[in-house]
Amino acid sequence: MAPDRAIAVRAAEPSLAARPPVALYIHVPFCVSICPYCDFVVYAGRAARGRDDQVDRFVRALANELELRADDLDASLGSPGSPSTRPPLRSVYFGGGTPSLLPARVVGRLLERVQARFGLAADAEITLEANPGRDEVGDLAGFKAAGVNRLSLGAQSMDEGELRRLGRRHCPQDVVAAVRLARRAGFSNVSVDLLYDIPGQTPARWQRTLDVVVELGVEHVSAYALTLDDLDAEGVTGISGDHLPLRSGARRWRERARLEQDEDQAADLYRIADDRLTAAAVRWYEISNWAVPGRESRHNLAYWGRLSYEALGPGAHAFDGDATRRWNAARLDAYLAALLPSDGSPPRSPPGGSESLAPDDVAGEAMILALRTRDGIPAGATADVGVASALHWAEENRLLEARSRGRLVLSLRGRLLSNELFARLV
Amino acid sequence: MDLRPPSGARRAEPAIPQSRLRNFSIIAHVDHGKSTLADRFLEITHAVDARQMTSQVLDSMDLEREKGITIKARAVRLEYTARDALPYALNLIDTPGHVDFAYEVSRSLQACEGAVLVVDAAQGIEAQTLANVHLALQQGLVIVPVINKIDLPSAQPELVIEELENVLAIPREEVILASAKEGRGVEDILEAIVQRVPAPKGDRESPLQALIFDSHYDAYKGVVAYIRLEEGTLRQHDVVRLMASGAQSELLELGVFRPQLVPVPRLGPGEVGYVATGLKSVRDCQVGDTMTTAVRPASRPLPGYKPAKPLVFAGLYPLNGQDYPLLRDALEKLHLNDASISYQPETSVALGFGFRCGFLGLLHMEIIQERLEREFDLDLIASAPSVEYAVTLTHGRGEVRVDNPAELPPVADIESIAEPWVKVSIVTPSAYIGALMELSTSRRGSFLNMEYLDPERVLLSFEMPLAEVIVDYYDQLKSRTQGYASMDYEEIGYRPANLVKLDVLVAGEPVDALSLIVHRDQAQTEGRALVEKLRELIPRQMFEVPVQAAVGSNVIARETIRAMRKNVLAKCYGGDITRKRKLLEKQREGKQRMKRVGSVEIPQEAFLAVLRSNGTG
Repeated sequence: MAPDRAIAVRAAEPSLAARPPVALYIHVPFCVSICPYCDFVVYAGRAARGRDDQVDRFVRALANELELRADDLDASLGSPGSPSTRPPLRSVYFGGGTPSLLPARVVGRLLERVQARFGLAADAEITLEANPGRDEVGDLAGFKAAGVNRLSLGAQSMDEGELRRLGRRHCPQDVVAAVRLARRAGFSNVSVDLLYDIPGQTPARWQRTLDVVVELGVEHVSAYALTLDDLDAEGVTGISGDHLPLRSGARRWRERARLEQDEDQAADLYRIADDRLTAAAVRWYEISNWAVPGRESRHNLAYWGRLSYEALGPGAHAFDGDATRRWNAARLDAYLAALLPSDGSPPRSPPGGSESLAPDDVAGEAMILALRTRDGIPAGATADVGVASALHWAEENRLLEARSRGRLVLSLRGRLLSNELFARLV
Repeated sequence: MDLRPPSGARRAEPAIPQSRLRNFSIIAHVDHGKSTLADRFLEITHAVDARQMTSQVLDSMDLEREKGITIKARAVRLEYTARDALPYALNLIDTPGHVDFAYEVSRSLQACEGAVLVVDAAQGIEAQTLANVHLALQQGLVIVPVINKIDLPSAQPELVIEELENVLAIPREEVILASAKEGRGVEDILEAIVQRVPAPKGDRESPLQALIFDSHYDAYKGVVAYIRLEEGTLRQHDVVRLMASGAQSELLELGVFRPQLVPVPRLGPGEVGYVATGLKSVRDCQVGDTMTTAVRPASRPLPGYKPAKPLVFAGLYPLNGQDYPLLRDALEKLHLNDASISYQPETSVALGFGFRCGFLGLLHMEIIQERLEREFDLDLIASAPSVEYAVTLTHGRGEVRVDNPAELPPVADIESIAEPWVKVSIVTPSAYIGALMELSTSRRGSFLNMEYLDPERVLLSFEMPLAEVIVDYYDQLKSRTQGYASMDYEEIGYRPANLVKLDVLVAGEPVDALSLIVHRDQAQTEGRALVEKLRELIPRQMFEVPVQAAVGSNVIARETIRAMRKNVLAKCYGGDITRKRKLLEKQREGKQRMKRVGSVEIPQEAFLAVLRSNGTG
C-alpha cells in the first residue's frame, strides 16, 4: 500500500495537543425514504421533500455552523493558510442521509465557504454520497462541476430481492446506470457500498453481487455487515443523543431480520468478498474497505489514523486529533433552532456533547484503530505488559500476523474476530 | 433483642414455690395458630402491656415473620392466677417449626413437663406435628390437646377429634375447643396447663444441672444461654461450667423472660431463665449442653446432648470476588449466634473463593443465605447442595467423609460409598397417594407404611436417601398435592449405594463446581441434561470446545460448542468512534466477568443458570 504520506496511519503514537483538522465531514440528514436498518440521522417525508421541506433552512443552518466552527478554529489555531497551524483540508465528505438530494449549486456554495474558511488542498478528496435510485441519484455532472471528485454510491446489493428486503428504492440496473452516469460526468473515483448478512442472502447471490460490482470497474468497495442494533438500549437516542430513537416499524423489522441472520454464513460471505475483490486487484485496506491501490479513501483513513477532523450537521462527529471527540445532537429541530434563531439573535452552536479520553485510553484506541487497517502496527511498539500479552495472545490464536517492515497486521481470521483482540486493548 | 432491663422493671419476682411452676411448649403446624395463641397468653397474664405489644411477639426475627415460622426457640414466663386463686408461674418454651431444627425441638421439649398440641380445626393434624407429639410422648410430657380456629366456617372439630383419637389415642373429653383469634377457650387452656401438667421435680440443694435449650450472642454480654434448671440453684456471680464443651465463666447476669429479660438474684430447680455468660462464641455453649457450677459440679450431665450436626452442605461464593472478606466476616458473625452452621474456605475454579458451609437442612441453608444477602448486603451463589457421604477406601485404609463431590477420591481408591437415609413421613389427602408414591419411588424411595388418619387423610411413610430429599422433593410434594401435603423426616443411618461422581469437563478440564454425586442409574440422564444446558450457555470461543459429562474416565455425554467465527465491528459508523469504543468496552466488561476454566471463558451467568436448574430438577 502506498498511502499518501500526510494521511498515512500513525499507530500508537498519541499526539500531545489538539491539531488542526485535515478532513471535514458534512452530514445531510435527508432521504426520500428511511431504510429500517439505518442508524444514521435521517429525516424523510415532508421534512425532506415538497413545499414545506426543511432542506433550505437546513442548508442555511449548516452554513452558519460552518462559520462558527471555523471561527473557533481561527481563535484557537490561527487563520487558515498558515501551513504549520492551519494546513488546508485534504478531504471533505458529504455523508447522509442522501446528500445527492442537494442541488449542485448548494454543494458548490458550501465548498466555496469551506475553501474560504478552512482552505482546501489542490488535490483534496471531495466525496459525496449518492443513492442510485433515479429520484435520488441527483445531478452528478453538477456535483462534479461544483468540485466533488469522488462519488460513493449506496448500492448495498445487486440482487433485486435483497434490495426490496432492505427497503431500498432502487434496483440493480439503477446502480449500473448510476456508475455510467458518474463516468460520463467525469468521476474517475467511484465507490460502491455493499451489505452482507442480509436476511435471505445466500453465498451464491452474494457472489453475483460481487461479480457485477467488479464488472462495473469501480475504484473502491465498502462491504459492511448488516448490523441491527437496538439504539435505544444502547442509550444514544436521548433528547441530546447523537442518534434518533428507533421507529417502531424499524424495531419490528430488525427483530424479524435478526432471526434470519447467521454469523457463520456472514463469516463465509466476508471471505468470499475478500477473495473476489482481491482477485480483481481491489485490495483490502480496512476491515470493511477495499480499493484499487492509491484509491483508498483518505477520509476513512483519517478516522483510523486518528487525524483531526471537523464535522457539521446533526449527529456528526468531530475529533481534535488528540483526545477530544465532539458531536452534534441528532435532532434537526434543535439544530435549526440554535443556528437559525427565530428572534434574530446570532447563531449559536447546536446542542451536542463531547468526551476526552484519558492518556492511557488514547494509546489503546490508537492501536485498535490502526489495527483495523492494512498497515497495522509496528511490532514491539508497546511497553505495556497487558497490551503486549494481548498481542501475544492474538498471534497465538492466529488473529495477528507479522508482515514485512516489522508490522503486525490482522489476518483474515483476525479481521473477522477483531473484537476479541480489541476488547483486550480498549 | 434488647437486654437492658426496662426502666422501672420489677427486680424481685414475688417468689412462687416450685409446686406452682409449669413448664410447657406448644406443638403446632405452621399457620395453625401457635403465635396467636401465645399472644393471647401474654395478654391475659399481662406479660406484655399494650404499648409493647406487637403482633406475635415470639417470632421476633423479620425472616421468621415472613416465612411464618419460628426459627429460634424463645421463652416467656407468664404469671397466671388460676381459678384456685393462687399465682402460678407458667414458662412457655417456644419450639422451632421446621424439620431442619428437629434437634432444637427435642431440647425444648426436654425442658418441659407438658406440651399444648394445637391443631387447626379445618386442616387437621400434619406430618411434622405428629412427629413432634411422638417426640413429646417419648419424653413423658403431658399433652394438652387443643383444636384451634373453631370460628372458621370450614372448621370440622368433630373430624379432628376423631383424628386425634385414632392416631394419638387422645380421649375426646380431654380436647379443648378454642379460637385464639377470638380469645375463646384460651383461659381453659391455661387452666388445663395448671391442672394437668405436673410441677417440675428437682432438689434445690443438689449440685446444679441446667439444660441449655437455646442461646444467642450479645455484643456486650457474650453468649446468653437460655436454661431450664433440673437440679440445684443458680445464683448471681456463680462460676459455671459447660459440661460438654468444658467452657467456664463467671455469670454476668441471670434472669427470666417477661418476655424481655428481667434480672433476678437466683433461679431454683424447675425454673426457666437466661444467664449472660460472657462467653465469646455459641460454640462453647451449645444447645443441649448441661450447665453446672464450678465449685460443686454435678456428677453427670443431663442425657441427650448432641453437638450441632450439619446435614446439608453447599459452597457459598460471592458473585463479586471482592466481597470474599465481607462474606467471611458475615459468616463469622452469624456463626457467633448459630452453632449449627459450619464453614471453611473453599476455592473453585469456576466460582472463585468461597466457603463450604454445612446446614441443618435446606430451609436452614435458605435462611442463612438470605440473611447473608439481606443483613450483610452480599450477592451470593450457592453450589448444588450435597449430603455427607461415607466413603470406604480400598486396602483397609479406613473411611473418609465427603461433603463436596469435587473431593470424592478417585474411583480406584473407593471400596464403597454409603449415603445418609431418612424416613419421610407425609400426611396427605388420600387423593394424592398415587402422585406421592410415584414421586417418592422415582427418588429411590421405598414405601414403608400407610395409615388412615380419618376417611380422607393418610399418613404415608417412605425410606429415602437424604440426597434425594434435599434437591426439590419438598417443592414437588407441595406442587403435586396443591399444597395439601405436609412432611417430616428423620435420619435412619447410612446405607451403601451405587453412587458415582459425575464430572463435567469443558475442553477437557473438569469444572469443579458442577460435579455431582449421583446414583449410577441416573448418571446418563443427569449428564446429558448438564452438557446440553452448558452447550446453550457457554458462548462460542476462539476454538471448538467439547463439553463432556464423565464418570471416571468414561465419557457418557458430549456436546460440542463450535468455534466463534465472527465478532467484528463491520458496520458503517462514520466518524463515530465513541460508539465503537463503547461497544468494545462493553465486550471488555463482559470478558472481565468471565471465569476461566482452562483456556475457556465462561460467563458466571452460565454457572448460575446450571446451578439454579439443578436446584429445581
